[in-house]
Amino acid sequence: MIRHIFQLVWNKKRSNALLFLEIFFAFAILFLVLTWVTRNLRLFSTPLGFETENTWIVHLDFYDAEDTLAASATKVRLREELLALPQIEAASYGGDVSPFSGSTWSTNNDNNGFMIQTHLIFADEHYKDAARLKLVQGRWFDETDRDARYKPAVIIKKLFDESFEGRNLKDSVYTINGENKIVGVVDHYKYHGDFSPEYNVTFFYKPSSAIDMPNLHLLLAPGTPAAFEEEVNRIVADVTGMSDFTIEHLQKSRDLDARSVWVPMVSMLSICGFLVLNVALGLFGVLWYNISKRRAEVGLRRTLGASRTEVSLQFVGEIMIVSLLALLLGVIFAVQLPLMGVLEGEIEAYDYYVAMGVGAAFIIGLVLLCTFYPSQEAGRLQPAIVLHEE
Amino acid sequence: MIQLENITKVYQTKVIETTALDNINIEVPEGEFLSIMGPSGCGKSTLLNIMGMIDEPTTGQVKVAGKLVGNYHSKATARFRNEQLGFIFQSFHLINELSVIDNVELPLIYRKVSGKQRRQMAEAALTQVGLSNRMKHFPSQLSGGQKQRVAIARAIVGQPRIILADEPTGNLDSAMGNEIMDILMRLNQEQGTTIVMVTHDETMARKTHRLVRLFDGQQVS
Repeated sequence: MIRHIFQLVWNKKRSNALLFLEIFFAFAILFLVLTWVTRNLRLFSTPLGFETENTWIVHLDFYDAEDTLAASATKVRLREELLALPQIEAASYGGDVSPFSGSTWSTNNDNNGFMIQTHLIFADEHYKDAARLKLVQGRWFDETDRDARYKPAVIIKKLFDESFEGRNLKDSVYTINGENKIVGVVDHYKYHGDFSPEYNVTFFYKPSSAIDMPNLHLLLAPGTPAAFEEEVNRIVADVTGMSDFTIEHLQKSRDLDARSVWVPMVSMLSICGFLVLNVALGLFGVLWYNISKRRAEVGLRRTLGASRTEVSLQFVGEIMIVSLLALLLGVIFAVQLPLMGVLEGEIEAYDYYVAMGVGAAFIIGLVLLCTFYPSQEAGRLQPAIVLHEE
Repeated sequence: MIQLENITKVYQTKVIETTALDNINIEVPEGEFLSIMGPSGCGKSTLLNIMGMIDEPTTGQVKVAGKLVGNYHSKATARFRNEQLGFIFQSFHLINELSVIDNVELPLIYRKVSGKQRRQMAEAALTQVGLSNRMKHFPSQLSGGQKQRVAIARAIVGQPRIILADEPTGNLDSAMGNEIMDILMRLNQEQGTTIVMVTHDETMARKTHRLVRLFDGQQVS
């Protein structure tokens, strides 16, 4: 029976060509969109690695300070005054690169024969508490690091696993902007947002008083009202004498950043939904038309001994073979992307394969759904009636 | 071989009731070549469809090759039809997308005969009707007479005990019609196949063993 259906499909290749192309292009578009969606969802499932709820960043600027010692003292005093407020649980200073700002500082270096590429973040000894970083090995920076022989560095687990797996953390010295000693490992730090790939990140230490650490991170107590910003604003203005600083709510920045991916993703899925609806209507129409053109053939087959089920299965089989062949061609093209490493680093082979599987399964499900009713109707045709219609 | 007892067929719509067959009693013994004649619309094809178990009588009892027909839509009835009956139609009903040999193989597909055996049986049937040189052709490449011979090959390929022919010569000229008739008579004489043929042609009907005439759904002779 399967050979017979193949024969019918082959002999009607011209009329099946359009359906073949429709399925092929539907799969191709679905595959591309699903690859992008899978990639985004995979990235979204990785934790950000730091706190954004109840976290504010006060963006200050001490670069123009004529008296750097006074500026350093002001920074220390500002932190102490803010920490004195019961609403503030932790406060730390960070470098110019802050979360969701879009700015990056990255470098690469040959580390004993291994090329290491990493993003650099400067943080003080309080940042672990202010950002609620999760330390998985070693320790965070402390006061002793000011005079350390090797510059201390804290790296994320991904970088550690890639470059130092199996090595003792205490002996791990690596060369990035000079020789550094890894003192700790944090689990994640996706500072470019929820949908960002997890880049290698290295934290370097700078004390709170450094004037090139302009961003003050504040971790607020849960339930702190937005009106508290006024109080912070007043203290910052009083202590620093500045008026051009800004206060950023980190959760809002995170949401805004995520929206820039969610919105196009939902739009693309909606467009895909319309496309799939069109394909479904097309399939339904083609099959309905086929059956109405082939009523006498159905009557003949029933007369020659085909059961209702066999007639229904034949129609489903014909469409299914065309669809599977179109999907096969689609998969042959699609599989080239992971094999050739297209957009490697941004999109993993896993994303392509999941999209291929989900796309193909979806198309097969859609074909089955659309062919079910018309093929059932074909099986119900009365041979005595349809054979005399011609 | 075929027994029809008190067969009535009524087509009913919301406004009108049409009696196509009215109390028909026919018995066709094994090996008989029976023809059914009558004017258009007298119920000949309906009677043939009932004998072929593709239509259901309103009342009455049908017994074909020893089987009392119950459920007309069951798998068992479809299987029985496939094994015991061969059908020939006035308009041939060949599938244009299939080659001649693939058309002939069709009943065997539903009998789950292996591909190799199907091919052998189809070739034998086509040789029997003189079309062994047209196996790879498509129906559109054949004349009317050749098409009907393909239809006959399809009807006999499964070696059925009964052949039901609905105006098999109706679309053919007299020479072609005679050729078809000769093949049917040979089948009946040499293989003992029971044949019931609906025809408008008195000359063809006279070549058969017995003639049943219908008029307005009633058996008149």
